[in-house]
Amino acid sequence: MVLGSATAVLMAASVIGLFLVAPEDTDQGAIQRIFYFHVAIAIGSMIAFLVACVAGVLYLRRGTRVWDDVGAVSAGLGLLFSALTVVTGSIWAKGAWGTWWRWDDPRLVTYLIVILLYAAYFVLRSSAEGDRRERYSAVYAIFAFAAVPLSFYAVRVAESFIHPVVFTENGANMPGSMLIWFVVAQVGVVGLFATLLQLELLQRRAQRALDDLKLRIEALAA
Amino acid sequence: MEYVVAAYAVIWFVLMLYVVGVGLRTARLTRETELMARVLAEHGEGPAEGRAADEAAGVGR
Repeated sequence: MVLGSATAVLMAASVIGLFLVAPEDTDQGAIQRIFYFHVAIAIGSMIAFLVACVAGVLYLRRGTRVWDDVGAVSAGLGLLFSALTVVTGSIWAKGAWGTWWRWDDPRLVTYLIVILLYAAYFVLRSSAEGDRRERYSAVYAIFAFAAVPLSFYAVRVAESFIHPVVFTENGANMPGSMLIWFVVAQVGVVGLFATLLQLELLQRRAQRALDDLKLRIEALAA
Repeated sequence: MEYVVAAYAVIWFVLMLYVVGVGLRTARLTRETELMARVLAEHGEGPAEGRAADEAAGVGR
């Protein structure tokens, strides 16, 4: 409840800040305001995939079902955030470059590969049952995460001049008056991920308890 | 500016849709839990069932 409220406040503050307080970019103009949530959600998706990977390792070490739940929910939220990143990125690209998508941009293509990899995670989950499903999912989440840093570094290695690189080894390539609102949006997105993860885990636990109750009632009725 | 509005509209629409989905699932779980609790009361509730019912009902709080 506290986490959810804090997240709502942060999200609202970041929207107000980036529209009303943050200065307009001299190079791109108003369209640059997409950056704040586009990048924050992209980083949020990478954090979600990292959590899915760590949960996979913990499931394989401990074998407790809660880590399978954490992994599955995190991968799902990561996929949702990735889809939002691609859609907002495409809108930004249309406004800035005049095209929805560029197949010659390494960042865009590697990010699409990451999305397809995690979509396959759910295909795998639905194709197996019981302990096997949980084990396969854990192993897959660990290996799929290898593609995430690949997407992050692809644009730097390929020296792409199409997709901008804001965060470099020398720090953020933007003034402090913009960076502060990006940080607020980023903390809000991480809070949103944590809130939704907590809510989904609570629902899964409740669903299991309810299924258990149904079985007991069936046994009583028999 | 219309591109900015479109991008943020997509984000908020999808997030709202997700939250509504979670809310609907919570409401279904709560309804089913109440139904199970009534059935258990008719059959005479044991301690193990009581704990499970309490846990299942926790999602609606």
